[in-house]
Amino acid sequence: MIYDSIIREQLVTGGKTAADVTRDISRPILNKPSMAWKVGFTFAVIFLGIFGLSLFWTLWTGIGVWNINKSVMWGWDITNFVFWVGIGHAGTLISAILLLFRQKWRMSINRSAEAMTIFAVICAAMFPVFHMGRVWVGYWALPLPNAFGSLWVNFNSPLLWDVFAISTYFSVSLLFWYIGLIPDIATIRDKVKGKYEKFWYRFFSMGWTGGTRTWARYELISLILAGLSTPLVLSVHTIVSTDFATSIVPGWHTTIFPPYFVAGAIFSGFGMVATLLVVARKVMNYENYITIGHLDAMCKIIMLTGSLVGIAYLTEFFIAQYSGVEYEQYAFKNRAFGPYWWAYWSMMFCNLVSPQVFWFKWARTTPWFIFIMSIVVNVGMWFERFVIIVTSLHRDYLPSSWVMYSGSLTEVGLFLGTFGIFFTCFFLFAKFLPVINMAEIKSIIRNRE
Amino acid sequence: MSNTIKYWKGEEELVRDPKFLDARKNEFSEALPLDEVFNDTGLELNSNRRDFLKFFGFSVTAVALAACYRTPVRKAVPYLVKPENITPGVANYYSSTCGACSVGCGLEVKVREGRPIRVDGNPRSPISLGGLCASGQGSIASLYDTERLANPLVNGEEVTDWANVDDAIIKQLTAINAAGEKIVLLTSSIHGPTSLKAIDDFKTKFTNTEHVTYDAVSYSAIIEANQSDFNKSAIPSYIFDKAEVVVSFGADFLGTWISPVEYTKAFVKTRIPSKDRAMSMHIQFESNLSLTGTNADHRFPIQASKEGLYLASLYNHIAIKTGGKQIGIAQAGEVAGNGIAKAGDALLASKGKSIVICGSNDLVCQKLTNGINMMLGNYGSTIDLNNHSNQFKGTDKAVDNVLAGLQSGKVGAVIFYNTNPAYNMNAKAWEAGIKKTKLSVSFSTSKDETAALCQYVCPDHHYLESWDDAEPKAGQYHFTQPTISPVFNTRQAQVSLITWAGTLPQLEQDPFAGKGILAQKHHTSPYYSYLKSNWAGKLGENVEVAFNKCLHDGVWIAPATELTAPSYSGDVTALAGEIATGKSNGTDLILYTSVAMRDGSQANNPWLQELPDPVSKVCWDNYVAISKAFAASKGIEDGDTVNVKAGSITLNNVPVLVQPGIANGTAAIALGYGRTMAGKVGGNVNSGFETVGVNAFPLVAMKGGNRSYTISGVEITKGEESYHLAQTQTHHSIEGRDLVREATYADWKNNPKAGNEKAHTHVYTIWEKREYLKDGSPNHRWAMAIDLNACTGCAACVVSCSLENNVPVVGRDEVRLRREMHWIRIDRYYSFTNTSKDIDGNFVTREKEIKSLDKTQSENGAYSHWENVKVVHQPMMCQHCSQAPCESVCPVLATTHSSEGLNQMTYNRCIGTKYCGNNCPYKVRRFNWFRFNDNDKFDFHYNNPLGKMVINPDVTVRTRGVMEKCSFCVQRIQEGKLKAKRDGASPQDVKVETACQRACPANAIVFGDMHNPESEISKLYKNERGFTVLEELNVQSSILYLTKIRNTQTV
Repeated sequence: MIYDSIIREQLVTGGKTAADVTRDISRPILNKPSMAWKVGFTFAVIFLGIFGLSLFWTLWTGIGVWNINKSVMWGWDITNFVFWVGIGHAGTLISAILLLFRQKWRMSINRSAEAMTIFAVICAAMFPVFHMGRVWVGYWALPLPNAFGSLWVNFNSPLLWDVFAISTYFSVSLLFWYIGLIPDIATIRDKVKGKYEKFWYRFFSMGWTGGTRTWARYELISLILAGLSTPLVLSVHTIVSTDFATSIVPGWHTTIFPPYFVAGAIFSGFGMVATLLVVARKVMNYENYITIGHLDAMCKIIMLTGSLVGIAYLTEFFIAQYSGVEYEQYAFKNRAFGPYWWAYWSMMFCNLVSPQVFWFKWARTTPWFIFIMSIVVNVGMWFERFVIIVTSLHRDYLPSSWVMYSGSLTEVGLFLGTFGIFFTCFFLFAKFLPVINMAEIKSIIRNRE
Repeated sequence: MSNTIKYWKGEEELVRDPKFLDARKNEFSEALPLDEVFNDTGLELNSNRRDFLKFFGFSVTAVALAACYRTPVRKAVPYLVKPENITPGVANYYSSTCGACSVGCGLEVKVREGRPIRVDGNPRSPISLGGLCASGQGSIASLYDTERLANPLVNGEEVTDWANVDDAIIKQLTAINAAGEKIVLLTSSIHGPTSLKAIDDFKTKFTNTEHVTYDAVSYSAIIEANQSDFNKSAIPSYIFDKAEVVVSFGADFLGTWISPVEYTKAFVKTRIPSKDRAMSMHIQFESNLSLTGTNADHRFPIQASKEGLYLASLYNHIAIKTGGKQIGIAQAGEVAGNGIAKAGDALLASKGKSIVICGSNDLVCQKLTNGINMMLGNYGSTIDLNNHSNQFKGTDKAVDNVLAGLQSGKVGAVIFYNTNPAYNMNAKAWEAGIKKTKLSVSFSTSKDETAALCQYVCPDHHYLESWDDAEPKAGQYHFTQPTISPVFNTRQAQVSLITWAGTLPQLEQDPFAGKGILAQKHHTSPYYSYLKSNWAGKLGENVEVAFNKCLHDGVWIAPATELTAPSYSGDVTALAGEIATGKSNGTDLILYTSVAMRDGSQANNPWLQELPDPVSKVCWDNYVAISKAFAASKGIEDGDTVNVKAGSITLNNVPVLVQPGIANGTAAIALGYGRTMAGKVGGNVNSGFETVGVNAFPLVAMKGGNRSYTISGVEITKGEESYHLAQTQTHHSIEGRDLVREATYADWKNNPKAGNEKAHTHVYTIWEKREYLKDGSPNHRWAMAIDLNACTGCAACVVSCSLENNVPVVGRDEVRLRREMHWIRIDRYYSFTNTSKDIDGNFVTREKEIKSLDKTQSENGAYSHWENVKVVHQPMMCQHCSQAPCESVCPVLATTHSSEGLNQMTYNRCIGTKYCGNNCPYKVRRFNWFRFNDNDKFDFHYNNPLGKMVINPDVTVRTRGVMEKCSFCVQRIQEGKLKAKRDGASPQDVKVETACQRACPANAIVFGDMHNPESEISKLYKNERGFTVLEELNVQSSILYLTKIRNTQTV
């Protein structure tokens, strides 16, 4: 018998029984898709089509269809990359770190957060892959034994570190997510009627029996994977930040980048989780599983990380001034007061100022308001990456090469298109897999009979 | 036992039916449906169900067989009979003469496997002295221009047979001559003695011929002034290396004025500060900001229409001090900052060792200039009329007479050679005039505006296909020899003339003919014989040897006439009444020639169209340059357009550029743009290729018998449209950064390190020193030095580099997107004076400070800080850093360091992450955004087989998606090393010249091996003026810049 706190708020409300949990959560999988799902999925596929067209045009014609130029050689592409990698952070944080800290409230949201991580990393990977001038030889960035003579990769290059960091993160996240899914897939397996459905769910449940020994192994592997994932939460964005921090571009060459990027990533990741869950709990009637309490907890994290990021912004400014390096000083002055001032102040407003409303309980507990705030947070984080990348490059050392840059239609199409990838995947996930971990959630409901 | 029984197969056979017997002769009893298969409809798949398996079987087999075939091996076929002197992979060099304009620079043509791939200055030529301008460098692309005429045209139709064309023309010429009607031969300035002889032959045959010389951009006022003052119709030679003070009134002598390469070479000698000789001083009075003006020690902006007044004032200033007679002018002209007085004092201090020149084609101004030079005693010292220039000989009055003759119908025949008046004069008048003639012939190489109006076009050779000679200056003979067989069915214009005159010599016999040896194309032009026989008497006894030596050297210099002062018969004081004092209404419009486009004859040359203007950095267009004061008063900004109204002519919606340095009350527009029939690059309205820029030639006015390029009283109003000019640099101030160091001459004399004290000596590194940087390292260590004091910013290096390294042309839209591919660029920074009166005051370079100055100046509307700008040019290319930031970030090691100090780019390893480009502090890396060759979107010379002939075979043509940048001409380094090795020379004797260095008319670029202590580069690295850009980043750049020294304080 597990001790239940009487004072603490219930993590799952509505007096759900184990049978209720199974029924509620497997309902979308067993039933025909709802109208809302169909409409949403159609939109997602349309955006996926935009991605396909934009990508085809880029590959067919050349990277020149983007507007990047001789000075700003990274623009929307790498901005989007960092944006999506950032979003991918919440999943691992929730499933790994919160698991280790025994934060049980995570159980309702970890499955969808992890799914979001995987899809976001897929979206992110599109950009470093397709921003390459010659993507067809992109595999040269992998340290593969080859017949090109003594050619090998450059381990000094942060881009190579990226390759390792992102691929490791993706594979561990995918594994973690899938292991967690096995008991639930087995539950679905036992419920579906169709011949093919049964085959596939049986295949992916890997012969799950629900025996004690199986559960023991399941929990052990979850713990091991959580342990493995925990450093990844910190490492991925640290590595991504070194893409910039190890360079000599004023505005990039900053030692504060690793912690600042990780904080920003968690910030944006929780922003995205909030966006998705506020909608999902409503549409799928999961208010009893994803409670106001969950939203409250996520808002607190958003506020904390937003403030951390804000402090980093201010520190950067201070250090630039303190360094006495005129290029560094100019880069930061130019960010705030140069031609891209609007991007900088959008970032400052969205990331530093606006999350402070979460000091108020009303703000943390009103779903529609949280939804708006989560969008603001993500807009702000996109601008942060744009500010870092573009405003640093567009005016660096030699004024003769100073340029202006704005994304082309294809670049915008690719960015919107990644939302197509993301939501197509997410809708398919919501239709075919349980979005809440049934097995785990049963351990925290009161009525366990 | 043989079987003799015959079996019949049918009754018809048995009865031997004649129908059957007939049919048996055919292999197939029924008619085959061959018609159905082989006619056009049969090509469509007209098959039935039963054919399916047949087609299927055939297709599968065909595909299977095709797939089995190996990719064809493309073999390089060796020569069966190896031509003499051609070794595959080894370049030959021939001397020749540049034909891009009539200046006649001596050339050295690089020929690879029978095709010329680049031209450089011939060091033996006294005109080019080894340098060559951008326009000359680029002229090689015109050889491989697909839009050259491949055959003669008769009434617009191509014909292939020259004989018929000749017959028809001779018949008509004879008839016209017999009828006593005039034949006009309108040519550009021709100074080759043999060409002139050909023209004489023509004149002898057709006695009514008048030869008129016409320069698109005229210098006739100088010629006329010299005729009246010295009784000599010629442009003098200016000896800039003897001048201590040069005062120029609007003459862009380092950019486009008369003979800029020669002047730059000479002038730069006096500009390098050294202990041995004093640095010269250069004072420029001008309205537009010219390339020369950007290099002046003192530059005074003047309103163009007041030029005569300022010249008269300068004359009077000198006259007062020397006790001469003054000109009676109503008001004394003086510019802000007392420039006239200062210039006068400086000239007086260097009497007899100074030059005053005036770029205006105005007789009064030129006579005043002559008067000043005479008074200073410069004739016979720095100005030489005895060994005069022949480079421009045109007289504007004569051309006007031709037009009048054409219009009145008095001219029976007109022949155009190297002239295009239907473009660069009044198009309508010439069209009507040409239509009235009985015979009109053009020698144009392409169907240009004038050729299109002519009955016959007899296309001339490109100069690289021609035999010729030239005498750009009296006694300085230059020779042209072909470096390729004619690409098309063209004929040299001189051959056409002597063919018609009937003086064509016999072809020299091919010595190998009939000997079973493949005929060598040996002097196949009859003009070779004509040329040689014309020189036979002049070159001494052994003509064959002497003439071959002339061809080898490219030049033959006759003993120069002694330098003497000519007798002066001018009277400057009589000009008092004619001196314009400047009108106050309207704006003065300056029509100038741009460094890239000159008179527009090379408008179809993509390299030159993409060459950014050295001052404004605009390419692919001309524009109206206006002053800040004017722009502010009319609310015009960059990106707007203006309407220009000059007399009866209006140009609507011309792009506008607010140009620092341009004098208030003045605007400027470049000539040479707006060609309507240049071709797909330069514009051809008939084939739907938009014109590039607008044609400003119609604005040229006649003034006192000379064409005037300064138009007064022009109305400029804001246009309705907007236009985005393609500029390669859009931020023009240096933001107070320590990128260019400069000092005054006086300071330098006290301390050679002046301006260069800020060396960052406290640079620490955690990295080990590279092997080649250590003393006694066995390798080479390549390095470069660029003297900012010598560099004029003329951009010859930019074209030279593009040619050498196969840098693609990307077009206007890509430049607008900031994607020009040039490996070398010239950064140009303006600095603005913060005091209105003192032009040598403190200069501001920060955007914020300039804006605040604008604010204070907006009250009086003068914006004098925009008029008085100081300019620096800084050539910028890959710095080949020893600790290169680009190298460490490449994930695939596509950019690495060589053991000789080169930062090398491995194109076929590059995957195109572009991180190197971002991490380059100098922003010199260029990315191949598209495939620039064989791409209809970039239909320049890389999109057709002929245009590609100019590709340097030693340099890879880069594919889409890879990064590229300056390689320090690694192919030349390799060539130099191999040559030294083959010759058994020591590594220290490896001689390498980079392409930019080779072209530089200012000798500003020095390249060499730092491990050779005797090398020029090693010595320059010890110069106190040396600094590296962004030294504090400790990237250890391999390019040393030498501080810019301005000779400002002695005024």
